[in-house]
Amino acid sequence: MGEARKRVMVVDDAALVRLYVRETLEQAGFDVDEAMNGIEALEKLLTSAVDLLIVDVNMPQMDGFTFLETVRCQELPLASTPALITSTEAGPRDFAAARAAGANFYLVKPVSREKLAQFAAILCGTEA
Amino acid sequence: MGDLAVLSAEEFRRLCDFLYRRTGMAFTDRKQYYVERRIAERMAATGAGSFATYFSLLRIDVEGEVERLVNAFTVNETYFYREEHQLRCLTADLITDRLRVGRAGQAIRIWSVPCSTGEEPYSIAIWLLENWPMVDRYEIEIVGSDIDTGVLEKARSGLFGKRALMRLSPALVEKYFAPDGPDAWKILDDLRESVRFSRVNIVEPLETRPYGHFDVIFCRNVLIYFDDASRRIAAENLYESLAPGGYICLGHSESMSRITPLFDVRRFADAIVYQRPAESTHG
Amino acid sequence: MPLVRKSQESPATAPSDPASVLSALAHGTDDERWAAARAAPGAPAGAEALGHALATERNLRVREAIFTSLARIGTAESVEWVLPHLRSDDAHLRTGALDALRAMKGAVRPYLEQLLGDLDADVRLLACELARNLPSEDASRLLCGLLDSELEANVCASAVEVLAEVGGAEALPILARCADRFRGTAFLEFSIKITADRIRAQAVPPRG
Repeated sequence: MGEARKRVMVVDDAALVRLYVRETLEQAGFDVDEAMNGIEALEKLLTSAVDLLIVDVNMPQMDGFTFLETVRCQELPLASTPALITSTEAGPRDFAAARAAGANFYLVKPVSREKLAQFAAILCGTEA
Repeated sequence: MGDLAVLSAEEFRRLCDFLYRRTGMAFTDRKQYYVERRIAERMAATGAGSFATYFSLLRIDVEGEVERLVNAFTVNETYFYREEHQLRCLTADLITDRLRVGRAGQAIRIWSVPCSTGEEPYSIAIWLLENWPMVDRYEIEIVGSDIDTGVLEKARSGLFGKRALMRLSPALVEKYFAPDGPDAWKILDDLRESVRFSRVNIVEPLETRPYGHFDVIFCRNVLIYFDDASRRIAAENLYESLAPGGYICLGHSESMSRITPLFDVRRFADAIVYQRPAESTHG
Repeated sequence: MPLVRKSQESPATAPSDPASVLSALAHGTDDERWAAARAAPGAPAGAEALGHALATERNLRVREAIFTSLARIGTAESVEWVLPHLRSDDAHLRTGALDALRAMKGAVRPYLEQLLGDLDADVRLLACELARNLPSEDASRLLCGLLDSELEANVCASAVEVLAEVGGAEALPILARCADRFRGTAFLEFSIKITADRIRAQAVPPRG
């Protein structure tokens, strides 16, 4: 029928955000993994790769930018995993910080289901 | 009496979110019955009349309830060659890596803390003797430490029952232990005397500092039970106790993600371990 | 037998005198600043020295040690030195500050109402997470107080997230009013519904 489902990891310390992203993207045809912060995400990523990271910024132990910088320093292909930052901040300095950390895109929370599904598809390369 | 409190779907989710956040343990819906049984035990033990009441006291960790609940989920028995994958990682990757650094005749130093009744440090010793081809070329120092002097005494005695030896092949038991009465085997004196046991409180830097630097630390199933502040201090103490580039291994269901960002995450074929960065400045 | 046993560990080196601890914290090498940060709780005016160091420390691990030491000291003074970093543009500092505050529940408690009423929405948002450390009834009461008049969607979301864990029945009408305010914002409608469902499930007596 088609290629295997794309795999997305949502990294956010809010359980309800993870649930929302999971429901939205599973419905849109993605497989979804979760992690509560950057350290846990890294542990999981070192075990199995994903096609897209959706990353919050404010998380315990390791913030989203530090996490992304760490990912970008890993070996390929992990280092080049597409990453979407979702943040409550909407200022130009925050966009710049995200870009500097290695993010591919940035969405300001709260994110609509349509946007989430649409940008996941774009960044995973599955958009028609 | 003995009634099983059944959790509603919402209560189960609320509990799972809490446990996942605090400990990293994740339960799927398929595990609901398994979780409910343990909740029922703890509700009975604490006298909580409803899940809501129990959850209120669990959340604020009344009398260490989080630890008690987590203990109800984990196998707490200690035995030889528990978590063998970490031992494999030790010889396949960790020691090899530590030897790449110029050592000038220094011993390879390994710390098992908490060591409980000694199964872990003795396991490390036996594993190295059995599985490391270069074991005769280097000096190896193994230290076992615990806060409980009672278990340390048992560890020094080197006496173990059948259950503790269950993962060892009969050949290994024959090789390293001598029968010492009904259901008791004593580890050979050579081995018994080569592991040093000592008391330490890992939350006290003045107690951990005298140990110097280790190449590998096994610190399983203790950090996750401390409160936030103590956990951080203990993690810093262990960080200081590692040589730059040294490794620390946690328990099977533990993760530094709930403890500290000080260590780098490293994945090897057999295990995920944590490393103090190799450069001497803490970058 | 390759296993060797040393007879005992070397004695602990005496802790540095307070003056050199404070000096190293400001001027030492990375290793010296790390050690000084860890030793600072034992020095007089240690919190102040740590607080000053925090403003300029670039090394992430030394920063971590500074936050841990401030949390160990755990006084109102420690809290005061950490709080400004909740407002920082630097995500690493914000995370460090929040984690440190989480580790000093008692000292933070008197500040919570003020933080939940802060003019800066980002501070209110992070303060909701700090309310998680309270007993359920207290947390629920404080978060309901915030939620009933909060206009920022993300702050509401943060409060609702914590109420999913701690909310009591008194939260239900407030959650309903919040859902009205944010009709059309999918994530808020979603999380309010789940939180309200969880709170309502508490009212049902246990079966069996």
